[in-house]
Amino acid sequence: MKPGNIPVLTIEEETIPLAYERAIREVWEKGIGIKTEYDHPEDPPSKDATVMIAVREPFGQPRFHRSFADGLGGLAEYVMEVVHGAHDYWVKPLEEILKGTESKDTRWTYTYHGRLFEYAMEGEVVNQINYMIEKLSRAGHTRRAQAITWNTKLDPPTEDPPCLQRVWGRLCEDGEGGYIFNMNTHWRSRDLFKAWFENVIAITTLMRKIAEAVSEKTGKTVRLGRYVDICDSLHIYGSYFREIQGDPEKGIKSFFEKLESRSFEERTWNSDFIKPFFIDDGVGKGLRPMLAREKEMPGNVRDAVAEELRKMEEEDYVV
Amino acid sequence: MKIFEKIAEDVQKGDAEAVEALVKEALSTGAPVEGILNRGLVEGMNVVGERFKNNECFIPEVLVSAKAMKMGMEILKPLLAGSGVKSRGKVVMGTIRGDLHDIGKNIVAMLLQGAGFEVVDLGADVPVERFVESAKNENADLVGMSALLSTTMVNMKEVISGLKGAGLESVKVIVGGAPVTGEYADNIGADGYAPDAASGVDVAKRLLEIRTA
Repeated sequence: MKPGNIPVLTIEEETIPLAYERAIREVWEKGIGIKTEYDHPEDPPSKDATVMIAVREPFGQPRFHRSFADGLGGLAEYVMEVVHGAHDYWVKPLEEILKGTESKDTRWTYTYHGRLFEYAMEGEVVNQINYMIEKLSRAGHTRRAQAITWNTKLDPPTEDPPCLQRVWGRLCEDGEGGYIFNMNTHWRSRDLFKAWFENVIAITTLMRKIAEAVSEKTGKTVRLGRYVDICDSLHIYGSYFREIQGDPEKGIKSFFEKLESRSFEERTWNSDFIKPFFIDDGVGKGLRPMLAREKEMPGNVRDAVAEELRKMEEEDYVV
Repeated sequence: MKIFEKIAEDVQKGDAEAVEALVKEALSTGAPVEGILNRGLVEGMNVVGERFKNNECFIPEVLVSAKAMKMGMEILKPLLAGSGVKSRGKVVMGTIRGDLHDIGKNIVAMLLQGAGFEVVDLGADVPVERFVESAKNENADLVGMSALLSTTMVNMKEVISGLKGAGLESVKVIVGGAPVTGEYADNIGADGYAPDAASGVDVAKRLLEIRTA
């Protein structure tokens, strides 16, 4: 790639943890150095690349990597935020959002669930995921089953606009009378080292929800196909370099040494191990503590999370 | 005692069920509560804290071990009052008002408990007054605050002023979080700054002048 050109990387792996590790290695080795507004002045420039990552089996095991910036209960709560809107009530009122960076209200300006399921437009609210389900159920081959997040009025003035831009899906016949659901997501920007993995766990759970809803509507089997994740800027922030490079003088391992010191099984978990922690991680997070703690969560959302909890408590449910 | 080492090992592995069973077994054989706590649960979590500091384990693994430690603690809790076991200090902590991101605070809280501190976790989005009231009511030695946003970290200064206003000058204050720097901590009058979760315990020990063996 000529100087000044952002590298373009393509990764295809069987499972999420395999794709995640490879993406970290490739962006670290091949990414261009770009200083961003999130880097501290003393930090080195971030590593950055345009990346397309395909995961052939999004629920293939082991599904969970151990390297992410939260606990397992926290990850479960994030999945509920994206799939069921558990934190839509943390979004500030429109008049505060319109103040942009002048707003003193520290609540959020959006959630992915809010934008995908309740996109506000011309005084109306559009459930884009329902549209995708309806469209795919009527014509699985459609190229129009998509949902966007970007709000051209609200997002440009805010400090932290949505990274996810678009979700697109399509059904293909599986040759056995059923369908395979293929889904792509498009991201303008992504923190690879501390956000990608959690994003993908949540968004592939949404992928399964869409497939289940289409199956219910059509009465046909809908299995999950490959998940494709496209980032305009997939980056590793300069402030993480210390953690990635380690400090041999102080006996601090590099991230890659940490990976190499363990077998793949010792750096991942399968869904069976994770499930009890999703229900209650024992240190204050998970679906059960979340329902007990978040008293202001609206009733319909609470019901959806409680239903998810009920399903998780069943033996054959895969998180 | 071999059983203490086994408890410590199972805390490191994050095997909560095994820890629960071993703590019960240790108690049934008359093992001292202090030994089960300090040489078993706390020792196990201390090793996890050291491994985390040296970048040898992942964040979720710390919390899986913390669950195992807590399972053991729950059994010991009713027995601790009469056992004469003293904590290394009492820490009131939370994320600052307006800030809902609490993972850093949660890890520090677990590592502090693992290092023998008593932790009063106020949770996320904690109002200034609640930090001050809790520090007073709990007779805290240390207040820990974290912020992930530059827009919320300004509230840390209000807590420090509130503590002083309530006559709690002797309570040490430690701050941390992504946008917080050592310089900022000095400017707002904090006693300590933890650049990452792993160093939070060391800073707490230093502030309370606790020697590490």
